[in-house]
Amino acid sequence: MSGDMGDILLVFFQECDEQLQELERGLSALSDGESEQETINAVFRAVHSIKGGAASFGLENLVRFAHVFESSLDGVRSGRVAPTQDVVKIFLKAMDVLSDLVVEARDGGPSVDPGRIAESQIELESIIGGNAEAHKTDDVVPSDFVPIPMDFVPVPMDFEPVPVDFGLDFGFDPAPVQAPAPLIVTFCPHDAMYARGDDARNILIGLTDAAVAVEGGEITVTCDASALPPFDALEPDRSYLSWRAVLPAEVLEDTVQSVFDWGGDVCDFTISREGDPASEGGEAIAATDAQPSGETPLDVAPPEPAVPALAETSSAVTAAQATPAVSRPDAIQPAAVASGANGANVRRTEQATIRVDLPRIDNLMDLVGELVIAQAALESQCRRNNASMPRELGECIASMQSLTRDIQDAVMAVRAQPVRSVFQRMQRVVREACSMTGKDVVLTLEGEDTEVDRTLVEKLSDPLTHMLRNAIDHGIEKVEDRLAAGKPAIGHILLSASHRSGHILITIKDDGGGINRERVLATAIKRGIIAPDAVLTDDEINNLIFAPGFSTADTISNLSGRGVGMDVVKQAILSLGGRITIQSVPGNGTVFCLSLPLTLAVLDGMLIVAGGATMVIPVSSVVETMIIKPQDTYVLPDGKKMVSIRGDCIPLVPLGSELGLSAAVSDEPRDGAVMLIVENESGARAGLVVDEIRDQAHVVIKSMEKNYRRIPGVSAATILGDGSVSLILDAPALIASAVGRINTKLSDARAVLAA
Amino acid sequence: MTEEEKAAESKAVKMIVFAVGDQEYCIPILSVREIRGFEKTTVLPFAPPYVCGAINLRGIILTLIDLAIYLNVPPQLDNPRRVVVIVESTQGIMCGLLVDRVIDMADIQGSDIQSVSDDCSSLSGLVMIGNRMIGVLRLESVVNQLVEGVASE
Repeated sequence: MSGDMGDILLVFFQECDEQLQELERGLSALSDGESEQETINAVFRAVHSIKGGAASFGLENLVRFAHVFESSLDGVRSGRVAPTQDVVKIFLKAMDVLSDLVVEARDGGPSVDPGRIAESQIELESIIGGNAEAHKTDDVVPSDFVPIPMDFVPVPMDFEPVPVDFGLDFGFDPAPVQAPAPLIVTFCPHDAMYARGDDARNILIGLTDAAVAVEGGEITVTCDASALPPFDALEPDRSYLSWRAVLPAEVLEDTVQSVFDWGGDVCDFTISREGDPASEGGEAIAATDAQPSGETPLDVAPPEPAVPALAETSSAVTAAQATPAVSRPDAIQPAAVASGANGANVRRTEQATIRVDLPRIDNLMDLVGELVIAQAALESQCRRNNASMPRELGECIASMQSLTRDIQDAVMAVRAQPVRSVFQRMQRVVREACSMTGKDVVLTLEGEDTEVDRTLVEKLSDPLTHMLRNAIDHGIEKVEDRLAAGKPAIGHILLSASHRSGHILITIKDDGGGINRERVLATAIKRGIIAPDAVLTDDEINNLIFAPGFSTADTISNLSGRGVGMDVVKQAILSLGGRITIQSVPGNGTVFCLSLPLTLAVLDGMLIVAGGATMVIPVSSVVETMIIKPQDTYVLPDGKKMVSIRGDCIPLVPLGSELGLSAAVSDEPRDGAVMLIVENESGARAGLVVDEIRDQAHVVIKSMEKNYRRIPGVSAATILGDGSVSLILDAPALIASAVGRINTKLSDARAVLAA
Repeated sequence: MTEEEKAAESKAVKMIVFAVGDQEYCIPILSVREIRGFEKTTVLPFAPPYVCGAINLRGIILTLIDLAIYLNVPPQLDNPRRVVVIVESTQGIMCGLLVDRVIDMADIQGSDIQSVSDDCSSLSGLVMIGNRMIGVLRLESVVNQLVEGVASE
């Protein structure tokens, strides 16, 4: 694929994503009971645009499916089918298939399961099919076909529009024109032509145009249906027909050639003069000659493959649920494979792009303009050397300061994106999880317009997916249990986002059974995550579900139960600098709260001094600060210390020596040294001993790993106001190293006591 | 021998010559981003001894390598002319080299570089300018060591 084409394709896939979002929005509105014509139109347009674009790129799989989808949507659009919940459900499922097909075409990844496509396709067809049956059985059905088994009755309706077309375009006398050396064109479309939305009819029209363009020109077309199998072996989306057209001698070969410019790659065609020895064999002519005198409906209405026929006549679509269901998956498979190979060429060239409202860019531009002016003012102030200079200079700098702050905000606003895109994707996750577990759950979204940094939006997707799956698989009870507990049969999950004091708060609230603490505790003990005699608070038990390797599921399902899910969620949230908390009421449901920083670029930090160096610790991980009293500390035999805080013993970490910065300086926490109690997400705590707490500041996060390596206990670095570099501490890592040491000892101790 | 060195052999390369202790070294001038004065650094935990710390170069955080310790030559203490040569490797990794003074520039033919024993991986060879012997520093190996080295506790 050429570079230019790749670029265009890229734009197409970007548009596809937008159309899919539009589709999702529309269908969600429909499923919420809205039935405005504009919504339905928007949904239809989205699918139609995808189909149209895909057809021009020859993405056959996509076109084929989008086509069926579109036809069904047209049924709703024209008001023949009511958008009931069931119908919308089928559409939602089809949308999932469609978006998978888009991904398949873009990434050339694993091809979509043909069975799934076929299943969805049949459902789609059944929507309008069922209806068509009701309304249209009295339509023009060739009488010859009536005796054929009942399942097939609707199929002949495909044939209905074709004679009309032929009547319009080829309403000529079929007698051959006896021109000196008439031009003979034969062509035989491949399946692929129909699959990508083209039609033999278009070629015939093109040929007719070419013929009538010359004076008194006429065209004679004969159809060769000899390859047509018996009706019960007919596969509706295969191509069986070929055509032979005789054009006036005046028509140039080039003109005819140009007719095949578009579809020539998906059909076999020959162009020759009559009497040309290179022309098609007499056998073929004989066949075509013999054909028209043959059976009845075929010469009038050559049966076209069912799928392309849908394009013209979504009003008369087949209701052939029964038989094609058997044959279709086989028919689809080769095409899916072919498209997969095609996709491999396309490769993944996804560029990170972002759509920004123009006013935001304008705002940024204005601010930069002002900055330039402020800089000029500053310059002129410096040059004018008068008495009032220091004061005016100070004013200039102050205005520049506020400008830079505004610019920073404006740039953040450019990067900000509503969480809508990720939230909407969750609808699909819930749908899939529901169909896997057989539960019925409604996901309500709130605060989709909450804006967060773009990188954060993307990284939220995986944790949210895990958590929603968990909520459905473990949280929401089975229908019988729900009814027994006096709850509505349909489960309910609320996913909401809001801003709270410089953080974004995302809550996932389900109305399921809540966390079964006894079971969690028993499982944790069984899996050796905690000691058998451990006494834990409710919160600590809740937090056990985040422990690596934890799973209460008795059976491992596709959804969850492998014991990696929640552990991964916690790690992901932590790596984003967030916190996760659980509230669970048995019988009433569980609420997960994720608190995340608005941006990954700026962090709310506490400036501390340890070992002579100024360092930053994220405020989010500091629980409290206090002054150590010597009587509260206890020295372990290996020199490590513990401190008791209101009865809890936690390890004391002298930060300076822990980081190897002040090995020689007395390890002894000075009397009155400050201790920061830091907590990781599982509630493990440690006390970091620091020399002093200096300040609290928003710091810009700079990566250390780009030009250096990873440092244990340090997550990144930042630049302080004086231009010096300062390290940002990785509190969870520090706790893990401190607690890890203690824990192994504690379990040893317990073993000794137990013995 | 890397591709780069092979290519370098055929044509003259402009090198910047600097002194560390009493010895002189050179690196290709195209890898040098800028030369700046030595300033206070932020000490990094668990860093190898030759890393003096991190500095802020207009918003980019870089580590400084004290070449005297890295190359195992006695440093000139209290030298006011100590400067930091900011270099960027071919992979785009930047770091600062703390040297005692920058001397001059020289055109060096690749063929003039005389190889030294292989186990001295930080030098790709020696070159004679007049009667001075100058070591050709293998920048990539210095930088890679900085990035890939597993920080040991």
